[in-house]
Amino acid sequence: MTLDELTAGLEDLPSLPAVVMELLGSIDQEDADLTLLAKKVALDQALTAKTLRLANSSTFGLQVKVTTIQQALTFLGVQATRNLIMAASITGCFPSGRCPAFNDKAFWRLSIATAACARVLARHMHFNPDVAFTAGLLHGIGRLVLVTRYPEQYDAVLRECERVDGDLLETERAMLGVDHVLAGRALAEHWQFSDTLRQAIAFHVQPEMPGAGFLATIVHVASAVAHALDLAGYANEVVPTVSSVAWTALGLSEEAWLQVFRETELQFEEMTAILLA
Amino acid sequence: MSDDHELVPVTSALPGMVLSDELLDSHGLVLLAKGTVLSEAIIASFARHQIDVVPVARVEAHRAPDATAVQARLEILFRRHDRDDDNDWAGNLLRRYVEDYRLERQVAP
Repeated sequence: MTLDELTAGLEDLPSLPAVVMELLGSIDQEDADLTLLAKKVALDQALTAKTLRLANSSTFGLQVKVTTIQQALTFLGVQATRNLIMAASITGCFPSGRCPAFNDKAFWRLSIATAACARVLARHMHFNPDVAFTAGLLHGIGRLVLVTRYPEQYDAVLRECERVDGDLLETERAMLGVDHVLAGRALAEHWQFSDTLRQAIAFHVQPEMPGAGFLATIVHVASAVAHALDLAGYANEVVPTVSSVAWTALGLSEEAWLQVFRETELQFEEMTAILLA
Repeated sequence: MSDDHELVPVTSALPGMVLSDELLDSHGLVLLAKGTVLSEAIIASFARHQIDVVPVARVEAHRAPDATAVQARLEILFRRHDRDDDNDWAGNLLRRYVEDYRLERQVAP
């Protein structure tokens, strides 16, 4: 399989709800007008309910409970609300019945843990926490491309990886000719994600590459922390390589790290309860 | 009754225990509300109302983390990392911090 074949196949992927596509397209714009979008979201009751539960979770510490998307926009701001709508709609996308070796629950748990940790880290680094959350949530989306597009082959990849306790990316490349980082990158382009988001998805395994961007560093370390805290609930969990360049760039003391772990676990518990209900 | 509640005989009731349910007298009237904290006086009054057992909230003792189990799991999680590899100091630091975190060690600010 080549990248071209993969890209051609992206057309067949289940598309995201139109609302989410619009949200992702404007993720970097501080001043995007979401009034119209709020109305569209409000038409989807399940999506609205999930979004509001997230908005009212302790992560955001709102004094007043919000009951409409419009209120969430007022109290949380455009960035945070957009981020919540996106999280609420994307988790659970991609049915994966034809690839039994793929543990989609563990996948989403890890994605949410990475998102929570990226958000916590971003606040320490004075980086936009909402963008970091989204990047954390979507960093492994290439795996969903492979699961959806090539379920049987990917099932074999996962079984082989499990059997020899191999490196997932290497096994993917050896057996499929592409890996999930490449697939994620192709999807991010196909879905017209913002540049920042695309770079984070493309470079989260190599954050020290020139031009990778600081978001890739945050997501790289957040993912390592999510694995190390064992939050996916996956028996064969393994902590990936931790880039010393990325680790140094964050420059946190041990005390700060332990605080990051605590906050990550708290936000993770609350968010999985809402998103994976 | 769920796991976080237990019925204790009045003779074993102690001040400080919390009622996990409302307590009714022999006429079915509410004697004490759910959440009431038992005192010596309240416990003494149980005999007058012919109460033999009381439902109280089970107190979850804070268990010290099991260091052996935590380390064994970290051994699995970090199996691709070599403690002696100086180039992997970031991975090894993450491991040490997670261990300190799981074992609730005090760290210097």
